[in-house]
Amino acid sequence: MPAIYRASFGYLRRHPWQLGLAVLGICIGVAVMVAVDLANQSSRKAFLLSMDTLNGQATHQIIAGPGGVDERIYTRLRVEKGFRSVAPIVAGYVLAGETSLQLMGVDVFAEREFRNYTAPRDFNNDLAGTRDTGRPEQMVRRFLTGAGSVLLPAKIASGLNLEEGDKFDLVINGKVYPATFAGSLALNDQQEINNLAVTDIANAQYWLGMQGRLSRIDVRITPRTDYQLESIRQALPPGTEILSAAGRTQTTAEMSDAFMTNLTAMSLLAMLVGVFLIYNSVAFAVLQRRDLIGVLRALGVTRRQTFQMILMEAAVIGALGSALGLVAGLWLGDKLLVLVARTLSDHYFAVNVTNISVSAPSVVKGFIAGLGATMIAATVPALEASSYQPRLALTRSTLELRAGQLVPLLGIVGLGLIGLASLMLYLSESSLGIGLGALFVLILGFAFCIPVSVRWISIALTPIAGRVAGTAGRLAIGGVSKTLSRTGVAIVALAIAVSATIGVSVMVESFRTSVSTWLGNTLQSDIYVGVPRGSLDPELLPELTALPGIVAFSTSRRAWIESATGRTRIIAIQMAPGSYAGTSIRDGDPEEVWRQFDEASGVLVSDSYAYRHSVKSGDVVTLNTKNGPVEMAIAAVYQSYDSNEGAIMMSRHTYDQVFDDPEIDSIGLYLEEGVSTDAIMDQLRDVSSGRQSLIMNSNARIRDISLGIFDRTFVITNVLYWLAIGVAIIGILGSMLALQLERAKEFGVLRAIGMTPGQTGVLVTLQSAFIGFLAGLAAIPLGLVMAWVLIVVINRRAFGWQIDIAISIESIFVAMLLAVGAAMLGGIYPSWHAARARPALAMREE
Amino acid sequence: MTTGNQGTQVRIRNLSRSFHEGERRHDVLKEMCIDVAIGETVALRGRSGSGKSTLLNLISGIDAPDSGEVEVAGRNVTLMSERERTLFRREYIGFVYQAFNLVPTLTVADNIRLVLELNSVARSEAEERIRYLLDAVGLSDRAMSYPDILSGGEQQRVAIARALAHQPILLLADEPTGNLDDHSADVVLQLLDKLVRQAGGTMIVATHSAGVAAFADRTLELHNGKLMN
Repeated sequence: MPAIYRASFGYLRRHPWQLGLAVLGICIGVAVMVAVDLANQSSRKAFLLSMDTLNGQATHQIIAGPGGVDERIYTRLRVEKGFRSVAPIVAGYVLAGETSLQLMGVDVFAEREFRNYTAPRDFNNDLAGTRDTGRPEQMVRRFLTGAGSVLLPAKIASGLNLEEGDKFDLVINGKVYPATFAGSLALNDQQEINNLAVTDIANAQYWLGMQGRLSRIDVRITPRTDYQLESIRQALPPGTEILSAAGRTQTTAEMSDAFMTNLTAMSLLAMLVGVFLIYNSVAFAVLQRRDLIGVLRALGVTRRQTFQMILMEAAVIGALGSALGLVAGLWLGDKLLVLVARTLSDHYFAVNVTNISVSAPSVVKGFIAGLGATMIAATVPALEASSYQPRLALTRSTLELRAGQLVPLLGIVGLGLIGLASLMLYLSESSLGIGLGALFVLILGFAFCIPVSVRWISIALTPIAGRVAGTAGRLAIGGVSKTLSRTGVAIVALAIAVSATIGVSVMVESFRTSVSTWLGNTLQSDIYVGVPRGSLDPELLPELTALPGIVAFSTSRRAWIESATGRTRIIAIQMAPGSYAGTSIRDGDPEEVWRQFDEASGVLVSDSYAYRHSVKSGDVVTLNTKNGPVEMAIAAVYQSYDSNEGAIMMSRHTYDQVFDDPEIDSIGLYLEEGVSTDAIMDQLRDVSSGRQSLIMNSNARIRDISLGIFDRTFVITNVLYWLAIGVAIIGILGSMLALQLERAKEFGVLRAIGMTPGQTGVLVTLQSAFIGFLAGLAAIPLGLVMAWVLIVVINRRAFGWQIDIAISIESIFVAMLLAVGAAMLGGIYPSWHAARARPALAMREE
Repeated sequence: MTTGNQGTQVRIRNLSRSFHEGERRHDVLKEMCIDVAIGETVALRGRSGSGKSTLLNLISGIDAPDSGEVEVAGRNVTLMSERERTLFRREYIGFVYQAFNLVPTLTVADNIRLVLELNSVARSEAEERIRYLLDAVGLSDRAMSYPDILSGGEQQRVAIARALAHQPILLLADEPTGNLDDHSADVVLQLLDKLVRQAGGTMIVATHSAGVAAFADRTLELHNGKLMN
């Protein structure tokens, strides 16, 4: 290695703490980025794989409204029209013990072309996809003829202690049905669909209460049979559609795009803090070697060679940090996967994934991002180093003079960036990507303004500090403005991380307050009764609502309707008298709105729906009903945090007019005053006992469960911003360490003229605390603006939520404590180091 | 490398340099004219702030003048770009500083090797030269030591070896004995005398010391940026 690089790396070797902290900082930044990417990708991949398995060779699917597809359509297509590549499917959810399974009812004879786990290769002898248990013939026979025969993945079967031919119970719609384990499904583990149960279609229809109806009809169109598509379409009755299978999968997967984009943005925040940290480390490394660089330049090292030398160091730090970050990212990704998958399952689609799948692009992207961020961060200090004149040492005062001249310019650039961010937000309308881009520009803008603010505050507070804490106070507080070239970046890095905590916590708190208020208004019934993933037994319903003590009830049905443009959530409500006030109307006279809702088939659309589809009261929505497309007037937009896809709410009466779906998911019961909730629940249990297993919850319990899900959703957000704080603390530690090393001679002199080790330690601690205080102070306006952008721009664009901003003094106080605490934590070792400084040695080293 | 006209190694004409301190202008060198012959050793004397170091910086191209010209070996340094001055300095000029300015993260041998590498000297030749120079300055046994464990006198001897490694045509020394005790100062002067002066090299030494000045062929006194007779 050339001597010039040996000199450079020798420096890094002699400052292992600084090197280690810089590497750790970039390592965490890369780890967070890679982890989020891998968790997102793995969840998405698992979902797509499971859909691939379920869809098999189906290219299209015939679907209808919430009531499903009339099975006569299948017969007509296959028998009358002669389309052979069609297969009927009945799907739903069942419980085996404590395990929730996705039940798929299939017609084995029609399956041949579609899925390999049920289609027979040699129909007389085997089921192609079933594991050869030695008695394939019996298994096939049992599957086809045995009432309640079910194929399960081997893992599930062994979890339930089932041997082939064993009987077991399935709980469906709150009712218990006997089933027989007919054999193991030969599922490839990578297919990520280990919760699948396959049964004959007749069983499924009986169990799921779908006699005469199908969930969908799978269709296989090949280039050779492309012409059939139009014929099939023409053979379908109104309200029944044929859609691309891949398109349906894609549409479902895209529901989570905004969530994943926001996670990625959070991970980039950690990386941004990391960039400041790297800038800080490299800038320090350059500053500390200004004499050495001066000598090298005097010996004939060119500007370019100096620039290359610094960049080479950064490349080594970046490569090392990124490589470690990849390893840490795999570990962290595994942990985050659980949180991501849980949130996806809570809000978007069932995803069953246990292992992270490492994709080369994610790894390469993470490494390049880490290395690239380091190189970019190092460019400014490298340019600074190459600008050093080949003379002996720029004096420290010259450096500070230079920094002092630069600080106001940075402030002006910062204001310009804030203006640019505002313009981006104003002009970008509904683009989430530009919204997030604007947020990052805004952060940078504020970051550039921080040093000038710090200087003013420090200058203003120095005399006060002198009066309060004497010379040590004056030195500590005044020192910050006099060493801005070194303290400035550390303060910026901490301020960004702390502002993120303010921004995110204010956003989450505002969101939670809005949701909590909304739940308080919406949940008006005393008791809610429902069935997990199913609907109430219609025979049971009159008995439940007729119990003494119940004065009124409401009913609810939630269903999806699909079209080529995507899925729409429909909520059919039969309101109890006097319960209308629980729904907050955004844009209309409630009296008139409810009249339209009840009498004129008017529908209400949620905030999210209105935002996503750019509609308001007075507009119309077109729904694909049993009678074909029907235009329905929007009576109003209503407040809802129910689904970020948005929902259309209609009266039960209207719903029954347009859909063939008599099901009711849940009822809300209103009790007479003074009647005990527990007593009514006991009676409900008595009535339903042995007929249907019901879930009953009080108003307060539903509220707790809902807020529990809300809090769970933001666990991953909290994890990510704590990691960003971690990076910032590392930055502060590095900065304080470097600053104190830099000031070794100053401390040596102070010690030499009589300052005790304790006083020196206090000086450094005071300065650390002050740096934290300044960072906290700077973080407040940035954090609040960030919260505003997150609430009004990002959340609105990503999820369509309309959230009322609620700022609590507590979150700001906590952020300030965090800033001071982090800085003081970062200052512990440096203050110990400074206190231990031996005056003679320190002065000689300098 | 050709030398200047009539055996002149350094030719300085009307050289001026000032610095600004806020609104105040401080003239460090005023219309300075000097000729230094090939093989001559010139001592620059003067008080602190008299412009000695600035003059050395201008001669080596480390700094650029406000006006005037500096020719070294017939080449006008003041007309060169920053990069050209760097490459010129790298090849033709050696420096010895009062504070030694060795690279602390390199060993003694590496400090010398650094200059040779910058000048693309072949590896075998470089190793031979390092051995020769360390032997010449009496530090053969300290080749693998780092500068911070050497005494001041030893560090300055390494600095001299490094300054001479690439066989410069001009050696500039800025207070080379300023940080040394009398004995070490003597050793350093003897080395400079043996390795530069007696070997026919050209040297300009900035110094406060009468002893150092006495060792030069000629002494120039600087006062307030001007040359005194």
